[in-house]
Amino acid sequence: MSTDKKEREPMFSAKNVKLLTSPLNLNNPITVQVLGICSALAVTAKLKPAIVMTLSVMIVTGVSNFVVSLLRNGIPPRIRIIVQLVVVATLVILVDQLLKAFLFDVSKQLSVFVGLIITNCIIMGRLEAFAMSNKPWPAFLDGIGNGLGYGLILITVAFFRELFGSGTLFDIQIVPQSLYNMGYVNNGLMILPPMALITVGVIIWVQRYYNRSLIEK
Amino acid sequence: MHEIFNIFIKSIFVDNMIFAYFLGMCSYLAVSKTVDTSVGLGAAVIFVLGITVPINYLLNEYILKPGAMVWLDAQFASVDLSFLSFIIFIAVIAAMVQLVEMVVEKFSPSLYSSLGIFLPLIAVNCAILGGSLFMQERDYQTLGQATAFGLGSGVGWFLAIVAIAAIREKIRYSNVPPALRGIGITFILTGLMGIAFMSFLGIKL
Amino acid sequence: MYTNGYIFRYAGILVIIAAALLSLAAMLLKPFQERNRAIDKMQGILASAQVQECTADNAIQLFNKYIVEEQVIDPKGNILSSYTKSPKEDAQAFLIDLKKENYNKAHHKPYNLPLYIAKKDGQTIYIIPMLGTGLWGPIWGNIALKSDFKTVLGVFFDDKSETPGLGGEIATPKFQKQFIGKKIFDNRGNFTSIEVVKGGIVKLPENQRIHGVDAISGGTLTSKGVDAMLRNTIKSYLPYIKKHR
Repeated sequence: MSTDKKEREPMFSAKNVKLLTSPLNLNNPITVQVLGICSALAVTAKLKPAIVMTLSVMIVTGVSNFVVSLLRNGIPPRIRIIVQLVVVATLVILVDQLLKAFLFDVSKQLSVFVGLIITNCIIMGRLEAFAMSNKPWPAFLDGIGNGLGYGLILITVAFFRELFGSGTLFDIQIVPQSLYNMGYVNNGLMILPPMALITVGVIIWVQRYYNRSLIEK
Repeated sequence: MHEIFNIFIKSIFVDNMIFAYFLGMCSYLAVSKTVDTSVGLGAAVIFVLGITVPINYLLNEYILKPGAMVWLDAQFASVDLSFLSFIIFIAVIAAMVQLVEMVVEKFSPSLYSSLGIFLPLIAVNCAILGGSLFMQERDYQTLGQATAFGLGSGVGWFLAIVAIAAIREKIRYSNVPPALRGIGITFILTGLMGIAFMSFLGIKL
Repeated sequence: MYTNGYIFRYAGILVIIAAALLSLAAMLLKPFQERNRAIDKMQGILASAQVQECTADNAIQLFNKYIVEEQVIDPKGNILSSYTKSPKEDAQAFLIDLKKENYNKAHHKPYNLPLYIAKKDGQTIYIIPMLGTGLWGPIWGNIALKSDFKTVLGVFFDDKSETPGLGGEIATPKFQKQFIGKKIFDNRGNFTSIEVVKGGIVKLPENQRIHGVDAISGGTLTSKGVDAMLRNTIKSYLPYIKKHR
């Protein structure tokens, strides 16, 4: 048993920790891998939905990475996409049905996101790129890490859009009334979807300015 | 006939998948480096949308909708399978993509080598599932209307990706700040094009 | 390595497992989900009537307390059935599927309209349930009218999939509060509905502002959906309102 243990990697080896941290910056799913853009546009007008979406995506990528990694040796390569999609969709719909039955209030908050989660290409992208060729535990960590990296961008974008677009954060008024009295107006453009794209563009600009290695030729 | 034509035009310009609903962004941003490849991907999207939307329309109409199974027997009037619609739509899309891939590979290797690499990408393109879900939501009356909608959405997506690819080819010779080069400037360009397309929003035909 | 037979077997087994899991879940959970949906409907109806203390736990009890009568009426304004007994959630009006009725209406087939009558603090309140389409999917809600059938006592809106922070704002009190005290008829008795005005009601002439509310900036198409839903639904009730005013 002791020899067995020595051969096994510790749960949080340096390599595994890196799986969690690299998606936050150098391998970020949104700004570097360009995955999951559609949902990033749909849920970043306010901070609250952005955080809810982050948590849901983290859980779904983690769990579906884990499940697909368990199945990886039996999946015929020709139909792997169907298999992956079916696994993800079944998981999400099952959770949605359970929430509808037992936690109706939570499910009402989340119902918007169900479709967005299934079609989120981060999930499919990570299944293809990582879970199909790695063991379940690293695959799980990779899923959580990518969910976190995705959430980091989502929350940053939502912060700026809500602050400048609505003058609030978490629906609490931040811009003081006296400023409005002096003639300040909320920038209505910020809450339109195209501005999410432009905000992400600016985030990429800042990120690559500090990480020269990411610059494209 | 008039109605079908309207739906077709509307889904290209007014309800453009990319600029009005921002669906299918991932492959749109990742594959729009050159005009040639984007024409290939765009054609594949038109093809897949043109097939899956009508198929899913039939499935929705005769199996999934509440009371849709009446054509089998009157006792099925209360059966509601709409909770299965997500998974069925996705399965149809993935199966169609795989089928198209196999058929093209077998019968036209040259087309496969130019189109083939894009096909797996399409299954995860949210514009495709979005097409089927919009079709279900908008309750199109006939198969013709659903097909027109599917094809129109595909053409709209095709136009959008070819347009951005052309801009990206030109912009390569411009003096873009190094950190913005490539994907960064593409995000900003798409945002600006999106704002321009907003002027079409809500036009009724 | 993988024969066609294996591929088909694998796909078949996977699909059967997935379908079985989902169907089982749908079947077992249906009663719970339906109860939750009914409670949600009651909460919506009570919220439009400005019953503030309503939660998921006491919705059934409060619904039975405040709602005194549920009617099913036809488009000509005749009362087809009236239900005043308890429990109120068994009434025909409560069980009407608005989606089906809207479909019949759009296809010029006969259709029925539900109406709830509540009594609160001595005044009679008429509550009309509504269903329409927003940008991405269905939107629904209720409008509560005072006994003059002219003044709005309150509204309630909810949606399935409007963009959070944009169109999704129709489900917030901030948007819904605007409707309180507005009028759906002008002084001469013509039907005006409540207009959801893009750019705000300041755009309307002074005397029209009582018939309008501000649209949501960035949620134009959802706001239009709300506007159309209000207009279309209340229009069907006009014959009834003319008879009973």
